[in-house]
Amino acid sequence: MTPVIETSGLTKRYRRVTALSDCTVSVPEGRISALVGPNGAGKTTLLRLLAGLAAPTAGRAAVLGAAPRQDPAYLAEIGFLAQEIPLYRRLTAQDHIGIGAHLNPRWNGESVRDRLAGLKIPLDRPAGTLSGGQRAQLALALTLAKRPRLLLLDEPLAALDPLARRDFLAALAEAAAGGDLTIVLSSHLIADIERVCDHLILLAGSRVQLCGDTETLLAEHRILAGPRKDTTAIARAHVIVREDTTARQTTLLVRLNGPVIDPAWAVEEPDLEEIVLGYMGQDEAGHGAGHGEARLSAVGEDR
Amino acid sequence: MTWVTWRQYRNQGALAAALLAALTVVLLITGLHAAQVWHSALAGCMKHNSCGNLSLSNTAFTTLVAATSAVPLLAGMFWGAPMVAHELETGTNQFAWTQSVTRRHWLAVRTGWLLLAAAVLAGAVSALVTWWMGPDHALNADAFKTNRFDITGIAPVGYAIFAMALGICAGMLLRRTVPALAVTLAGFAGIRELFALWLRLHYMTPVTVYYTLTAPFTPKGSYLAVSQGIVGPNGQPPVGTGNNYVFNGEPIPAVCQTAIQHPASIASCMAAHGYRGYLTYQPASRFWAFQGIETGIFVVLAAVLLGVTFWVLKRRDA
Repeated sequence: MTPVIETSGLTKRYRRVTALSDCTVSVPEGRISALVGPNGAGKTTLLRLLAGLAAPTAGRAAVLGAAPRQDPAYLAEIGFLAQEIPLYRRLTAQDHIGIGAHLNPRWNGESVRDRLAGLKIPLDRPAGTLSGGQRAQLALALTLAKRPRLLLLDEPLAALDPLARRDFLAALAEAAAGGDLTIVLSSHLIADIERVCDHLILLAGSRVQLCGDTETLLAEHRILAGPRKDTTAIARAHVIVREDTTARQTTLLVRLNGPVIDPAWAVEEPDLEEIVLGYMGQDEAGHGAGHGEARLSAVGEDR
Repeated sequence: MTWVTWRQYRNQGALAAALLAALTVVLLITGLHAAQVWHSALAGCMKHNSCGNLSLSNTAFTTLVAATSAVPLLAGMFWGAPMVAHELETGTNQFAWTQSVTRRHWLAVRTGWLLLAAAVLAGAVSALVTWWMGPDHALNADAFKTNRFDITGIAPVGYAIFAMALGICAGMLLRRTVPALAVTLAGFAGIRELFALWLRLHYMTPVTVYYTLTAPFTPKGSYLAVSQGIVGPNGQPPVGTGNNYVFNGEPIPAVCQTAIQHPASIASCMAAHGYRGYLTYQPASRFWAFQGIETGIFVVLAAVLLGVTFWVLKRRDA
């Protein structure tokens, strides 16, 4: 089966700044993919390219089998929710439902009314007077009412308090339960969305560091801890993603190419957050200088 | 998309309709009064040319009517400039442009309706003003004057379409409402001045009439003066021209220096020595041709600006 999203060498430059470089990712149908990375890593750019709101400088993207483009049939398949949750402040939820009904072929306005009734969000108040959580719920409901096959959500949780986050993710999980909706949602914190995601794309320094199903990624990575020693033997057999060394101890995050044989290393299974943090420091040079790395190193030395 | 445009602009539309209704009431009442004054004057004092300073209406209403010249500009500033800019500024374009409608379609429909609304509004105001000004124009023959030509006939419709297009284009390029407003204001005022004070005089080759200084020439009806002055016996204008040339302290031809004690005789002296007056002007019969040309030019300018807007929309990221 062809993936819902497939990009190769996707690059976006704004004058001197490269927002996204050489991005090659693939997301199979039905996944809820976490698009994570530090601020400025290119998450928004990637989502906007996929939504057809921006055009790539180089490379190509295929979404549902074709390049994102200005075409009603394409736009009907995509749900996009921008980071600032843009709604018309003076228009009510009812007005927004009306707009959606006039602009979309498969519109399900009833679903929005039901969802808002369930959350006790009023239909007749201007969107500008709703709380951040209510606006986010309204925007999500409107996006889902399009009945898209691909949902692109840019930092939808950023403005929400913990309770609203929980509700929002619950709504999202429910929408995805059918299995034919693919979702990509970005966040700079993996912990926020780890629970609902089964796929991960990690961007750092405008490049893709990691892309794959979370199960596979968890199975492939291990944390090795041991007395401070030479790591060349490990590096020969596996890929060392990250190395933290204190005076007495070395801690490694490795991508396995088989079992770890040396009994000097204590082998632990990392969680998704540890893997993500391990990769986050990787920049264009492949190691070392990113701001994520600097922060992590400091933590390592404290230990 | 039409419904969406209606939903987003119905409040502004209602406000405009209410203002138009209020203006209609005021102008109907005062206009009917002016017409009545004018008709009784026609029957009475006009016959003996003894109307003196006939007052058709209060200056407050004349000022109000003169202020209608701002209608196209206001439409451009408050409908045109925010149309794209406000969406880009608040990010709602990301909502609008990810529904199942292309950006091009989105822009085309709302541009179309708003241009139509602005044109209808300006046309309605202009029709009212044209009617209201009727007696005044008949009395003073000044329909072709700059500040009258600009608020009557079909020209205001052209201005409104241009102002809207300027606002929309500025909003698209600048992506911010307030700068777009400022550019619309400055751009519209500048372009309008350029046409009203300079370019309009030359839409058609003007007519030049030479006349004897003792019998100054005034064209029939409302004309648009391009230039006026005096030419010497050799056909060349003397140094210093203008309406009040002779009495303006400018050099009087040496031959007439003696006439300076009797100002009334200067004109006849100069006429006797071959000096003639001339008036270069656009005659009253060209009024509607000029209205058509001016409107056409502003509509073409608007089309160019909208072309730029659509081009930018296609080329630039949302």
